[in-house]
Amino acid sequence: MTEPEMPEQKMNEEEVTEREQRKLAEVLKQSLTSMNRELDRDLWPKMLQRLDQNARQRNWFAVLFSPAALSSVPWFDWALLAVIVVGICIFPRSIPVWLYHF
Amino acid sequence: MNTHPYLRAYMAGTVAPTMMLLVVLTAFLIARYTFQIPIPIERAIIFPMALVPNIFGAWNMFYLWLRPRPHLPIGLHGALLPFILAPTGFALAECSGFLSAGSGGLVWFHEVAIPYAFVALGFSFALIAYYLVWKYLVGFFNEVLGIA
Repeated sequence: MTEPEMPEQKMNEEEVTEREQRKLAEVLKQSLTSMNRELDRDLWPKMLQRLDQNARQRNWFAVLFSPAALSSVPWFDWALLAVIVVGICIFPRSIPVWLYHF
Repeated sequence: MNTHPYLRAYMAGTVAPTMMLLVVLTAFLIARYTFQIPIPIERAIIFPMALVPNIFGAWNMFYLWLRPRPHLPIGLHGALLPFILAPTGFALAECSGFLSAGSGGLVWFHEVAIPYAFVALGFSFALIAYYLVWKYLVGFFNEVLGIA
C-alpha cells in the first residue's frame, strides 16, 4: 500500500520545496534594494556646498591673507605698498605722525 | 525686514582703524616710555581713538549711500578721506599743544621736525595708504557684512 504512494508524496514534497524556494526568492528580491551601477544624482552641487561650508568655517584673517587673495592683488598695488614701506624706512621719524593720523 | 545696511556699513568702516588703534597706542607707549619722546599720550590719543574710527564709519556709510548713484571705486573713495582727516588732525594737534608750525616745517611732539616738503610728500603717502586700506581692508569687511 505504501509503495504506490511514495512517488506521489515525493512529487508533492518537491512541489512544496520549489514553491517555497520561489517564495523565498521573491522575499529576498523585495528585501534587497536594487543596485544601480550608474549614480542617479549629480554630486557636483553637493561638492560645491561642502567647499562653501569649508570656506565659511575658515577664519576671516585666513581668508584675507590667503594665497588666493594675495595673488589677486595687482602689481601696481604691491608697488604702492613698497613705496610706503621705502618712505617709512627713509624717514622713520615720521612714524609717530603716521600713527597719529590712523 | 530692515537689515540696517547703514549700521553694517558703519561697523565695517570702523573695524580697520579700531584694530590699528591698538598698534597706535602700543607705539605711543613705547615711544614715550622707551625712547623718551615727549608724546602727551592722553591728548595725542584723542584723534586716533575718538575721531578716526567714527569718521571711517561715517565715510563708509556715505559710500553705501553713493552706491546707487555715480560713485568712485572704494579705494579712491577712501583716498579722499585724508583731505578731511589731515586738516582736522593738524588742527586738533595744534589746539592740544603738541604741533607747532615753524618757518622750516612742522614740529610734532616738540621733538619731530618735518620740513614742509616732507609734509607734502607724507600727504601723498597718506593718500596711497588710505587707498590701499580702503580697497583691501574696508572692502573686505564690507563683503563680510554683506554690503559690498
